[in-house]
Amino acid sequence: MRIVHYLNQFFGGKGGEETADLAPHLQEGAVGPGKLLEQVMGEDAHIVRSLIVGDNYAAENLAATTEWVLDEVRTSGADLFVAGPCFEAGRYGVAAGALCAAVQAELGIPVVTGMALENPGVDLYRQELYIVDSGSSVSAMREVLTTMAGIAVKLSRHLEIGAPQAEGYLPRGILHDAFVEQTAAERLVAMVVAKTRGHAYESEFTSATLPDVPAPAPVADLSKARVAIVTDGGLVPKGNPDNISPYAATNWGAYDISDLDDLEGDHYEVSHRGYDTRYVEQDPDRLVPVDALRDLEKSGVLGKLHGEFISTSGLVNPLANSRRLGREIAEKLKAEGVTAVILTST
Amino acid sequence: MAQVTSVMPVAKMVGSNRVIQGCGIVHVLGDPDLPPAEEKALRQEVLLRAFAALENEAEGS
Amino acid sequence: MQLTLAYHAISDMQFNAATRLEGTTLYIDQAALHHYLLEDRRLAGVETDIVHPGEACRFGVVFDILEPRAKAGSGPDFPGILGPMEAAGQGLTHVLQGAAVTVLDAAAPLSGGKVVEMSGEAGEACPYSPLHHLVVMPQVAPGVERHAALNALRLVSVKASVFLARAAVGKAETATATEVLDLAGAAGAAREGLPRIAYIGQIHSRQRVAEVDEQILYGANTVGMVPVLLHPNEWMDGALVTSYMTRGVETFFYQNHPVLTELYRWHREGKITFVGAIATMAGSDNEDRPRNAMLATQQAKWALGADGVVLTKYGGGAPHADMALTAKMCEEEGMRTSVQVEDMSRDRRAESSMLFHYDEVDAIVHVGGQGTSWTVPAVERTVAPTPEVAAALRASQQLEAARICGVTSQQGAARVRSFVY
Repeated sequence: MRIVHYLNQFFGGKGGEETADLAPHLQEGAVGPGKLLEQVMGEDAHIVRSLIVGDNYAAENLAATTEWVLDEVRTSGADLFVAGPCFEAGRYGVAAGALCAAVQAELGIPVVTGMALENPGVDLYRQELYIVDSGSSVSAMREVLTTMAGIAVKLSRHLEIGAPQAEGYLPRGILHDAFVEQTAAERLVAMVVAKTRGHAYESEFTSATLPDVPAPAPVADLSKARVAIVTDGGLVPKGNPDNISPYAATNWGAYDISDLDDLEGDHYEVSHRGYDTRYVEQDPDRLVPVDALRDLEKSGVLGKLHGEFISTSGLVNPLANSRRLGREIAEKLKAEGVTAVILTST
Repeated sequence: MAQVTSVMPVAKMVGSNRVIQGCGIVHVLGDPDLPPAEEKALRQEVLLRAFAALENEAEGS
Repeated sequence: MQLTLAYHAISDMQFNAATRLEGTTLYIDQAALHHYLLEDRRLAGVETDIVHPGEACRFGVVFDILEPRAKAGSGPDFPGILGPMEAAGQGLTHVLQGAAVTVLDAAAPLSGGKVVEMSGEAGEACPYSPLHHLVVMPQVAPGVERHAALNALRLVSVKASVFLARAAVGKAETATATEVLDLAGAAGAAREGLPRIAYIGQIHSRQRVAEVDEQILYGANTVGMVPVLLHPNEWMDGALVTSYMTRGVETFFYQNHPVLTELYRWHREGKITFVGAIATMAGSDNEDRPRNAMLATQQAKWALGADGVVLTKYGGGAPHADMALTAKMCEEEGMRTSVQVEDMSRDRRAESSMLFHYDEVDAIVHVGGQGTSWTVPAVERTVAPTPEVAAALRASQQLEAARICGVTSQQGAARVRSFVY
């Protein structure tokens, strides 16, 4: 197995923080922890190239560093790309994660890295990569490399990677169904009794907090504001011209209301399967309140009702998708001078 | 942005900042049991609450 | 409240001249059954068929699955739907154990429709595959509106269930097993110090507006309803059937409610005191979510004196919010909770499947669902209301767990668990 190994200036033996600006440096063969990795993986594994980049350089020139790494990996004929392990080093972890993700995406070869849970690289890349839980102590290097090697070998052989606890990687946040002995009812009762008695219990799921969304400043003067309606209830013109899917929608549509004082049920339909749509079909203003907003525009409460409403379906929509849709909609409305949005959700 | 929804816990969980309670999942800005004029008035009332949220600092911010 | 269940094991089911139970074989007079079902003029006809465990057979689209049960004089059968408005949950109920009545809905869309898988890997995961099924396919008369058609299907389901189980009436002495459900002694000294555990279960979700003539709780359609104390015996003895929103639920698992059964088991073993159950629903209207959550919590705390509460939801995704809010309020009142969630996401990401976040609601059973599916083989036999559905079901196809009755059960029967990898 031909391996390319990415290291920072410290683990690459170039020096400490004072050499963090080290520009990409290629070394043939294994360096530092790389030698230990070869040992752990056995005779058939050879690190053909070590790629050493200073933490600051990588952080400030990620695009260039990525190009360089991809080039080196491509021309080396590597079967495996290993980065780190980075332990708690944050710039190192972020770079390692980015580079692993790029190699995986562009070159399609197995990649593996290792970091401590608190490393910022973890949150950024845990869903895409297998990041071994290295803990924070560098003295665990051998064990960490052994764990990384184990995953690397499985990936190379296209074997299934098991549970995080068993394989040693940080949970990626991906749901994996399995059949178990006990019914949900048995698990529910056992869990509630344990909790009630003050005994230990293991929840089958821990919901992590989502990051805060910073709140925009209040609208200074609504009577001068351009207000747009956005909905995730799936209201679309009859015929669904933009083919918005009733669930997990990947697109949104913008529909003209500039000449309308209210929406009529005959001209619209609903592409959403998560709620009983009859009331909205009878009167779409119940979801997209053109009639009331037009009145409020005429009476001067708001400055202008934007000439289009935006619609998509929020049903079982993966967050990654929703985030993109939201960004795109926001960009469009912002470019069109909208300063306030009413989002209606079912 | 002010969000009008009947499932406020989810909106708050994902970080929506100005969340206003709607009139029901299946008619978030309406009530089919009301005569049309009253229903429209109700719609306007909810929207005015949304506007009030837009004109003020978000809760907890 | 004491309910005696007389279980009669069924190892075979056949159509025959007279409906009777001989040993463990149930004979069904098909003509008499049809005659009885067709008393409802909303039906133009009916077909019935029998499917045995082990057959390479698939049938659908399922309206509901019931266990044949009948009380015959010791109380009402499905009060409010079939029987008179009298309390369920007491007296003697005969149970044909190993049998099921499965009603198919000819007008339900095949896409996303529920099926029963009797063999193969998917069949092993289906809790209904070990049962002998009487499959009933009512043909609704032309001109009957959908809500009336559904009402007719519901009536067929309970009628057929009782018709079959009447064969066991008078045979209590030859019952294979008897079980007494009784929460008596809940206040006894012997139970001091035991955790007092209650169940709060949703029985409908207002994501789907109930029909005027939809019968759910003692025949009521639950519109306008607030949470209500409902004795576990009533849950399991015909007071409750599923609504027409059937995601992950069948009446069979009200009759054999996994959570209530498990709580009874711990109660009998002297490990907890099972204090009772509350039926609630997931809201849709302004304020009814926090109101229902509060009322259910109040009843658990002050009427049942619970120390711990198990909660389950009904329907789709939004009802998780109602369940979680109720659990949060219970925790705030000093009652510990466990909740059951399913995965509603499409991307298999844990963050997408999470529909609530309260620090106190941290004892979660996750029955997953979206990640489990089978490529099921073509089958020799299908049972369906139309040749088109029969042909579609016969072929090899991809079946998601949610489409196979009972696999991702929302009533606690699921053996699926979702792990975070």
